[in-house]
Amino acid sequence: MKNISRRNFIKLTSASAVAVAHSLSMFELAQAAGPRLLPTGTPILVIVTLNGGNDGLNTVVPYLDPIYKSLRPQLAYKEDQVLPIGDGLGLNGSMTGFKTLWDNKQLAIVRGVGYPNPDRSHFSSMAIWQSASRTPIKTGWIGRWIETQPENPFLAISLGSTLPPLFQGAKRSGTVLPLSGLKIPTGMLATDFAKTSKKTRLDGQLSATAARSIRDLFTVADIVSPILKNPAPPAADLPTVIGGNAGGESNLSAQLDIAAKLIAAGVPTRVWSVSLGGFDTHANELSAQSLLLGTVSNSISKFMSQMRTIGRSRDVTVMVYSEFGRRVRANASDGTDHGTSGPMFIIGERVVGGFHGEQPPLNQLKDGDLAVTTDFRSVYGSVIEGVLHTPVDRVINGWNDRLPLFTA
Amino acid sequence: MFTAREYSEDVSNQDRTAIARLTHRIGFGPKPGQFRKMLKQGFKVSAKQLLNSGLPNYGDVKTAIGITDLGAQPKPNSELLEPYKVAKRAQLRNMSLWWLDQMVDQDFPFVERMTWFWHGHWATSYSKVDEPVVMFDHIARLRKHAIGDFTQMCEEMVLDGGLIYWLDGQLNTANSPNENLSRELLELFTLGVNNYSETDVKEAAKALSGLRVVKNSGLVTKEPRRSYAGTSTVLGTTGNFESVTLARHLSLTTACQSFIPERMTYRFISPASSMMSTPMKPSERVKSSTPIIKKAFGGRQILPTMEALVFSDAFQNPINSQVKSPLEWLVSVLRATRTVPSRYANPDYLLKLLDTLGQRPFFPPSVGGWPADEAWLSVASSQTLIQAAQLIVSQGDLSPLMDVAKKQRIDALADWLGVAEWSDRTKTAFDGALQDPARLAALAICSPEYLVSA
Repeated sequence: MKNISRRNFIKLTSASAVAVAHSLSMFELAQAAGPRLLPTGTPILVIVTLNGGNDGLNTVVPYLDPIYKSLRPQLAYKEDQVLPIGDGLGLNGSMTGFKTLWDNKQLAIVRGVGYPNPDRSHFSSMAIWQSASRTPIKTGWIGRWIETQPENPFLAISLGSTLPPLFQGAKRSGTVLPLSGLKIPTGMLATDFAKTSKKTRLDGQLSATAARSIRDLFTVADIVSPILKNPAPPAADLPTVIGGNAGGESNLSAQLDIAAKLIAAGVPTRVWSVSLGGFDTHANELSAQSLLLGTVSNSISKFMSQMRTIGRSRDVTVMVYSEFGRRVRANASDGTDHGTSGPMFIIGERVVGGFHGEQPPLNQLKDGDLAVTTDFRSVYGSVIEGVLHTPVDRVINGWNDRLPLFTA
Repeated sequence: MFTAREYSEDVSNQDRTAIARLTHRIGFGPKPGQFRKMLKQGFKVSAKQLLNSGLPNYGDVKTAIGITDLGAQPKPNSELLEPYKVAKRAQLRNMSLWWLDQMVDQDFPFVERMTWFWHGHWATSYSKVDEPVVMFDHIARLRKHAIGDFTQMCEEMVLDGGLIYWLDGQLNTANSPNENLSRELLELFTLGVNNYSETDVKEAAKALSGLRVVKNSGLVTKEPRRSYAGTSTVLGTTGNFESVTLARHLSLTTACQSFIPERMTYRFISPASSMMSTPMKPSERVKSSTPIIKKAFGGRQILPTMEALVFSDAFQNPINSQVKSPLEWLVSVLRATRTVPSRYANPDYLLKLLDTLGQRPFFPPSVGGWPADEAWLSVASSQTLIQAAQLIVSQGDLSPLMDVAKKQRIDALADWLGVAEWSDRTKTAFDGALQDPARLAALAICSPEYLVSA
């Protein structure tokens, strides 16, 4: 595994590197508070968004509860189909990787997470989760955190093609990195783009963002491109299966592989965003959801193993959420419609493993839906303080609640 | 040979901005020479010309480009499977290029601009519908009503096979409701979030129950046996609602009279007040114009509403800049360089490009449609735009730049592309590239001034 040495990295990113990195120097990196290697010991947050509304009841399954079986007879898992974790609950049978993390006390399951007066719209609900605000606001919670930090295009990276709303800041936002990496022009055209993307005070907000997106492209590409040519760090301590290790291959695991490479190289990124879609299981839910949850569990287990290989496993915390859970009662299409609360997963060596929050009781449904027993902002609060080391109210206005999710 | 100044000297910057907005937001950007003509005619004449341009007679498009019902998918081991898949891909490609051609080729593509707007509104994706003819018909229905009567559009869309299938409407029966179609019809298509109750969703689902969709043809039938029989109460009105009567009822509510103009304002004036991709109330920056646009929608006629929007203060207010979406950017570049997509050297590249940028026609990311503004500006999109710009200008017609003297090229560039004005920063970059029209053009179409509709 090829690391960028600290010296080279600083050289690459300093204004004196004119001869070394031609186009980079054009971007006056030093002036833009140039990035430095991330010191070991700096906490890193990986946010995993499950798009579509994951059915929490078939993820952390109350398999012993007779009401569970009666309300979704065709969709209910039996005892021998789940991975029991106590309290009458079992993980979906496909989540063997998470079961190991659970047994190692590196998985916290926060139960019944949602927000008051649940909104069943994908868009409103995702907007609430990503903005961390019950009323509409334009910025995302990580976007607001970014703006508490010195400018650094590496600070928060989302893998994909468009900016997720949670990375949206008022003036500065996170960086989007496509899975295929970055290619940039060289020579005179690069010099020209350095000019057209210069800061100017006359720019409106959108023009300024457009200019910065070009500027950051050159900055990020120069650093990232050689690193992406590296192989992903091996998941050394995972059991191997035919054709590879048990982590498996998927788009999510491809996203996490890129994060792993860049973390291994010491890129100064504190927040990563990855995602997986397909959870909107209105029909034929069982096989589809189980496949997706298997992907989530395998990919994250593999990623954590990679982090152990490179000695960053104590620094990394993974947080998994979806915009809502689903209705308790199945619909006629062997699926479930949009519901309310669901479990969140927090993974890492500094995490207080085990259950947090109350399981919403099935005998106390409200309009056929699960109660919300934990506000998601309490989970964010813990993460903002425990991982991002920032006072909660600088990111979520007026919010103070936290959960004991992290060891000191 | 003309210089920019001959045409533009009496035109204020404010007029240039307004006309640039007109051509880029209500059309798909100027063809070579159009922007100067519009400057000369003035905003009012140009706006009327664009708004009243109508559609050319397309004739029988389906026959012309070979869009057919492909029948049910052959069994996995059938030797018919591969030819079926090939035909399907070809049809999707043909209809995608045909639509792009219309956007690029027409002098005044206002109706296609509106069809594109409605595609983002009734956002239905091929990714699930998976049948070219069904998606073609879906868009054809939107085109038919694109500047017409919104009530009629609603009445027809609730029986559109593609839309129903996309939102699981065929799974919604009296005995076991599936609320997907019902909820989105209320939230995203007619009323807007918070303008209905959960009970309304359930009641509307009753009215929409019992539909069958033939997947490969999009044919929709209602089966009494699976349909809810009886009255339902939606937004306080009780009746024997079925799909069409429900759609009509929803379209005539006061909530709808606000919601649709808000969506138009969001897309054509400013998404800035929105939070993410959630539909929401327009902000202070459009407040003075909002009542006028909503009033114009009183009769649910789309064209007069767009007219009110284009002539509103908010449309001209300098604060209301917006980021061009990837399709808008690409089509405007193709128009400027006279690059007709189906006749381009590698048409598939253009479709792939839109896919990479996250905005391929027929593939909205979700039923909420495409995002806006900053969501399109990223490190990832910058690299793709820069690559595409270099490639397209290397093959496109750059005569509007070639034909003028070097020192006039910066002005010519603005008029060619329909940009109100270049910043000093960008002009500095142009100064070094004046001798190289291709480099100049690539820089210009990736400049902040072109990426953002000022």
